[in-house]
Amino acid sequence: MTPVIETAALSKRYGRKTALDDCTIRIPAGRIVGLVGPNGAGKSTLLGLACGLIAPSGGRIEVLGRQPAASAAQLARVGFVAQDAPVYSGLSVADHLRLGARLNPGWDAGLAQRRVERLGLDPAQKAGRLSGGQRAQLALTVAAAKRGELLILDEPVASLDPIARRAFLHDLLEFTDELGVSVVLSSHLLGDLAQVCDHLIVLAGGRVQIDGAVADLVAVHHRLRLDGPGDGALDALPAAARVVHTERTASGRTAIVRCADPVPGAERADLEDVGLAYMMATEAHR
Amino acid sequence: MIWLTWRQFRTQAFVAVAGLVVVGAYLVYLGLRIRHDYTAGIVNCLPSDCSTTRRTFSERYEGPVALAGALLIGVPGLIGIFWGAPLAARELETKTDRLVWNQSVTRVRWLAVKLAVLGAAAIAVTGAYSLLLTWSASRYDQFAGDRFAAMNFAARNVTPLGYAAFAFALGTVVGLLVRRTVASMAIVAGVFAVVQIVVPAVARDHFMPPVTTNVAFAADVMEHADGFGMNPTSAHLIGYTMPGTWPMQGVSQVYNADGTPYTAAQARECMKGDPAEDMACTAEQNLHFSYTYQPGHRYWPFQWIETAAYTVLAALLAAFGLWWVRRRITLR
Repeated sequence: MTPVIETAALSKRYGRKTALDDCTIRIPAGRIVGLVGPNGAGKSTLLGLACGLIAPSGGRIEVLGRQPAASAAQLARVGFVAQDAPVYSGLSVADHLRLGARLNPGWDAGLAQRRVERLGLDPAQKAGRLSGGQRAQLALTVAAAKRGELLILDEPVASLDPIARRAFLHDLLEFTDELGVSVVLSSHLLGDLAQVCDHLIVLAGGRVQIDGAVADLVAVHHRLRLDGPGDGALDALPAAARVVHTERTASGRTAIVRCADPVPGAERADLEDVGLAYMMATEAHR
Repeated sequence: MIWLTWRQFRTQAFVAVAGLVVVGAYLVYLGLRIRHDYTAGIVNCLPSDCSTTRRTFSERYEGPVALAGALLIGVPGLIGIFWGAPLAARELETKTDRLVWNQSVTRVRWLAVKLAVLGAAAIAVTGAYSLLLTWSASRYDQFAGDRFAAMNFAARNVTPLGYAAFAFALGTVVGLLVRRTVASMAIVAGVFAVVQIVVPAVARDHFMPPVTTNVAFAADVMEHADGFGMNPTSAHLIGYTMPGTWPMQGVSQVYNADGTPYTAAQARECMKGDPAEDMACTAEQNLHFSYTYQPGHRYWPFQWIETAAYTVLAALLAAFGLWWVRRRITLR
């Protein structure tokens, strides 16, 4: 099956600043992919490249096997909700659905209608007067009713309060199932992604830190409590193990260790631990 | 795409149509009055009153016609500012480009449809205004006989169509590059104003090489000039305009038949006190002067050259805009 996004040595520079460097990833179809990283890590750049809003400075990117945004047919296959879910503030909710219907040959009017009704959006309401959560839902509705094969959401929940955030993600899971689309969503908060993703990419400092299925990542990462002042526990690790990051917390020092084999005395790391460890490690190296 | 273009443009379209209706009604009223007064005061004037009625006619309509002309020159500017500049800049500024460019319509097609629909509307509105004003002011223009004057040339017949196409394309491209609505509007206003000053001042008279001819100093020559200056070694005719032509010079030195400069001493020979007799006397001195000008029959070639040049410029700008959205635009 064609991967939804495949990149090779992809890079993007703005003048002298490198936003994304040597990015090589392969995202299989049918996943809900979380793209996580601190602010300025290059998440929006990678997603902008994937939907063809920006052109790469170097390397190669293919989305669903084709060059992004190269044709109307390719555009029809990818739904995109940009950061802050921009909508036309002067157009009503109904106008946005009409826009979607006029501009997308595969438009699913029934789906759009059902979603708007279920979300309780007033079709006559101007989009500029919607709340942040409603606006995000409207933008997602327009992107979803295109009935593409891939949905790309850039920080869809960043501006939402915790309740709207949970509702949005729950709703996303539900209709991803219903439509059978692949989803890539970014966030700087791992907690949001941990709820919904089955594939994680950690981006930090413009580079890919880890990329893999959540189950695989969790299986090979361990949390090791380091007692005492020395690194005795680390010295005793199997030869194949790699310390990702060590951190001092209130209850002592802990290390996140990557190792395919079981690590004696360690507990399983959860997804938040893993993602955070890679981001912190990158931060520490800068 | 056409639906969306119309949906986003309809407010501006209503404003333009409402403005056109108001101005159009006034121009029809003005045109009818000018026609009436022209027939009554110019064509059928009593010989004793003719000079008075001519002056009244000129004074009464000079202002309104000039004002309507100035407004017509401003219309393409307004179109560039209020239709062109926000077209892309507002989308980029409010980030709705990321919404609309991710529907199943390529950016090139998005811009092409917008340019075509709004560009056609810009040309139609300006064209309708120009048609109305050209009709409305036709008797006055005939009377004033100065259709090459910068304000008249740019506010009659087909040139406004070229300006409209140019200003709209300019606005769109500036908006694409600057990405800020208000800044784009200001830049478009500035650039359009400069172009409208520079082209008549330095470019238009070079469309075709001017013609130079020797004109005999006839008795009626002073009716077409602003003044006459002389000194012991030379004499000059100031601001002479041969009827219907566009003068390329402000001052013409006057010569005798044998080519020697005409002088103040010679001029004094004819100064007896009665203007008509003095002029007849001067005419008999067999003088001539050289006159460089664009002939009146070049009015239409000049109209078409200027319109075509602006249209080509608009097309180049549009092509650049399409290339830009395809290749260069980047999300920040």
